[in-house]
Amino acid sequence: MAPAGTLRPVLTRGLLLAGLLAALAFPAVFTLPFPRHVMIMIFLYGALATAWNIIAGYCGQISLGQAVFFGIGAYTSSLLFRDAGMTPWAGMIAGVALAVGVSQVVGYPVFRLRGHYFAIATIAVGEIVQALVVDWDAIGGARGVFVPIRRPDSLVNFQFHQSKAFYYYIALGLLLLALAVTRRIERSRAGYYFRAIREDQDAAAALGVNVRREKLRALAVSAALTAMGGTFYAQYILFIDPESVFPLSLSILICLVAVLGGVGTLWGPVLGAAVLVPLQEGTRVMLGGTGKALDLLIYGALIIAISVFQPGGLMALLARARTAGSAR
Amino acid sequence: MKRIAAGLLAVLVLLVISAAGPAGVAAQPKEVVIGVLYPMSGPNAQPGIDNKPVIEIGADIANGAVDLPFPFYQKLKGMPGLKGAKIRLIFADHQGKPELGQAEAERLITQEKVHALVGCWHSGVTATASQVAERYGIPFLNPESSSPGLTRRGLKWFFRTSPHDEHFTQGMFEFFRDFEKKRGVKIATAGLTYDTSLFGADSGKVMKDLAKKYGVEVVLDLQYKERSTSLQSEVQRLKAANPDVWMPTSYQTDAILFVRTSKQLDYNPKMIMAQNAGHLSPDFIKAVGKEAEGTLSRAPFSTDLIAKRPVAAALNALYMKRHSKDLYDFPARSFTGFMTLLDAINRAGSTDPEAIRKALVATSIPGDQLIMTWEGIKFDETGQNTQVRAIIVQLQEGKYHTVWPWDSATREVLYPIPAWADRK
Amino acid sequence: MGFLYALIAAGLSLIFGLMEIVNFAHGEFLMVAMYLAFFAWALAGLDPLVSLPLAALGLGALGWAVYHGIIRWILDGPMLAQIFATFGLAILLRSAAQFLFGIDFRTVDEPLLAGRVALGPLFVGVPQLAASVTALAAFVGLYLFLSRSETGLALQATAQDRQAAALMGIDTQRMFALGWGIGSACVGVAGGLLAMFFYIFPDVGAAFALLAYVTVALGGFGNVPATLAAGVLVGLVEAFGGLLLTPALKYSAVFALYLGVVLWRPQGLFGRF
Repeated sequence: MAPAGTLRPVLTRGLLLAGLLAALAFPAVFTLPFPRHVMIMIFLYGALATAWNIIAGYCGQISLGQAVFFGIGAYTSSLLFRDAGMTPWAGMIAGVALAVGVSQVVGYPVFRLRGHYFAIATIAVGEIVQALVVDWDAIGGARGVFVPIRRPDSLVNFQFHQSKAFYYYIALGLLLLALAVTRRIERSRAGYYFRAIREDQDAAAALGVNVRREKLRALAVSAALTAMGGTFYAQYILFIDPESVFPLSLSILICLVAVLGGVGTLWGPVLGAAVLVPLQEGTRVMLGGTGKALDLLIYGALIIAISVFQPGGLMALLARARTAGSAR
Repeated sequence: MKRIAAGLLAVLVLLVISAAGPAGVAAQPKEVVIGVLYPMSGPNAQPGIDNKPVIEIGADIANGAVDLPFPFYQKLKGMPGLKGAKIRLIFADHQGKPELGQAEAERLITQEKVHALVGCWHSGVTATASQVAERYGIPFLNPESSSPGLTRRGLKWFFRTSPHDEHFTQGMFEFFRDFEKKRGVKIATAGLTYDTSLFGADSGKVMKDLAKKYGVEVVLDLQYKERSTSLQSEVQRLKAANPDVWMPTSYQTDAILFVRTSKQLDYNPKMIMAQNAGHLSPDFIKAVGKEAEGTLSRAPFSTDLIAKRPVAAALNALYMKRHSKDLYDFPARSFTGFMTLLDAINRAGSTDPEAIRKALVATSIPGDQLIMTWEGIKFDETGQNTQVRAIIVQLQEGKYHTVWPWDSATREVLYPIPAWADRK
Repeated sequence: MGFLYALIAAGLSLIFGLMEIVNFAHGEFLMVAMYLAFFAWALAGLDPLVSLPLAALGLGALGWAVYHGIIRWILDGPMLAQIFATFGLAILLRSAAQFLFGIDFRTVDEPLLAGRVALGPLFVGVPQLAASVTALAAFVGLYLFLSRSETGLALQATAQDRQAAALMGIDTQRMFALGWGIGSACVGVAGGLLAMFFYIFPDVGAAFALLAYVTVALGGFGNVPATLAAGVLVGLVEAFGGLLLTPALKYSAVFALYLGVVLWRPQGLFGRF
């Protein structure tokens, strides 16, 4: 991405720092919950899309079943909190462990598949898991789980009723964690393996890359981050049911965010979330109540346009604008 | 990079706009602001779209723009308790999604400074939105969600005027008992079908519990996936089990498909007792109203009562004028809940949340002033209205008529339902 | 239902075989076809069975237009772009339907065919039976067209090797567009048939499309006759899954079948590659 030059990395770093500072200062400036809520959603979807980006963007395995990990994260921590009184932070770790375990068990056979077969297999897995949870009476089935409200606010209980600022910073932390992990992978040996698999799986295997092991590793990381997002969602919304944490539409939304921003780039998913979430919230607040699906109409058209004209997403658009600028 | 900065700036600007919004206007003391949360878009928007006009009528009554000439409503005219403060409504859309219900409730409370909330139809959304209200200490009036658990969460600020699934289902079993006394037909076995939604799961559980209590044997207990592409195997199993009464819980899509499929497969239940929802929806009646002849359903309200109850008839005229549709169950419940809230605010004489809450607790509205056939409205300590009464309606000649309790009935129960082969 | 699933899936399979693109808007094509059938009935009083050619033609045109408007430009693009272009199309079509027609459920009342026949102990509705027969006929027609006619052979040649076909003087662009047209026309027929006994609303396609993907993948992408077998299999598993298991899990049974088969034979039951 970055062309050679001494000035540019400094500039980029400065801009990132400024962005981070702005993000940190945001709650101080905007004290109302709604703008904070929008930012929290941007962070959450940014983190989820970043997690998806690791398996799909870098490793080339298009998973359409990310909601499985999200739901596992949400359910594990909520049930442990409700029934065993365990702090959601420990529940989050348990959820991550469970999601990683499931990802390995499911991933091992499914990674034999390629291309569209793989994508559809992940849809199938997602649908089966959702149906099983719905049918599982012991964990509430379709009736979902109410996360018990505990007062006063505390970090241990992962509930903040007085101010959204805590949620805000936790979501921001989640996003930064996802970005840091991605950044690390990008520069590590595993990152090269991932990209090699994406470009040509057979060639990568011929060069001695253990293809299945690398895919499983990418999926494990992705599942772990997604499960953390699930726990956050459960503690933020305080009510979960299979319809809201396991649906196919969530899996697809996660992908759309990343695709819009730019797949296989560090900042693409964040950019996608920063554009898409305000677009959705904004159109709903302004047009909601008309009973027309105008926001989705715009949304669909946008996705087609991006796919057809700029398959690299908004990041590619930016890169092009930049090279055009520096060519002058 | 400049573009990123510009992008970020645009996002910020958008947020500032949404933050600034109409919040500044709210400070007027002579105004009561009420937030109304309903699904207004997406595939589940029908209730929201049909409830909006009836809520507006309610506000107009209090604002003196519309007249409903009955004492209870006359008392609210001009909100004398608040010396003529005006009611201002703010509608918000949650699309049937719990997380949107939460976000919108929070936005309404903190930015629009609403004094009370009404909503949300879907039980799952009501669950999250009412938790927000609880957190901020804002009264939340729920006119229609039927999940029993909602009033068992120990919330202080949550009130529900409508019966929940247990009341309704109890009504169904009481009907079986009364029916046996009157016509000598024993309903001994039941076949249950319900979908995998929150509503379906709740209903299934309540029906199973009550069946045990009333000594009705459940011979088929079938949960199916909502919006199925085919219900052939479900109907085959019903046919094989052949219970005395088939008790379906479905949203409209599946309700329609069930009727068509049982016609094709020649399944002839003698009695069908539906759990409201899909079977009462106008789409259902329009699509298969004739084929579904004889379907019984529990209901809090029935259109044929409009003629019997002058209050309902007067409101129906207003509703017809505004929305070109007859009043039915959804808007009727919505209106009742909303007026209960207005009554409490009027008695509180202030927009202070605690005063409104206290007034809600003290609510006592006599049944004859309601458009519903309830005994009245009084809340218990969980916020549930205890004066509810379920009615049973039956589809006869393409329209629903009240058949139980016997004293409100406008028609006799049609039993057994004629077999497909015997119809013209 | 199996034959109908197969017919829906056949169009998908054909398109994939030709250019290795999965059309994720397939279910929405079905929805458009159902609305076409509905409006033909509501406005002109045509029974869905009568307006079948109309639905096929309309959808064929839609497919052709989509190819020229969107697909052409991403033929050689990354797989992600292909997936999400059609996803975007799905969202667009669905919300457009909601925008234009609202969310009301619509049904075609009093279709020409009604009633049922007994096949041994099982009853089958006449509309369903007619739909199955028509679907089967359409299927045979499609198969004959592909394997016998010159254009059909040209299509197959294009599917096997784009460059070679181009060298042989086949206009591959035309072939691709034709493939989309025919594939979509199949859905058109299926939608028209389905409208006889199914309710119609903007989201109706989703459930069918999911089954169609499974069906296609089960039979092996691009293998049209195998799709028929896979469609019937999916229909059977759905029916028996509903009878034997709890119906809530009947689609899980279908998906599990897919996973099982695909893991055992990663290219589908009858896949070629």
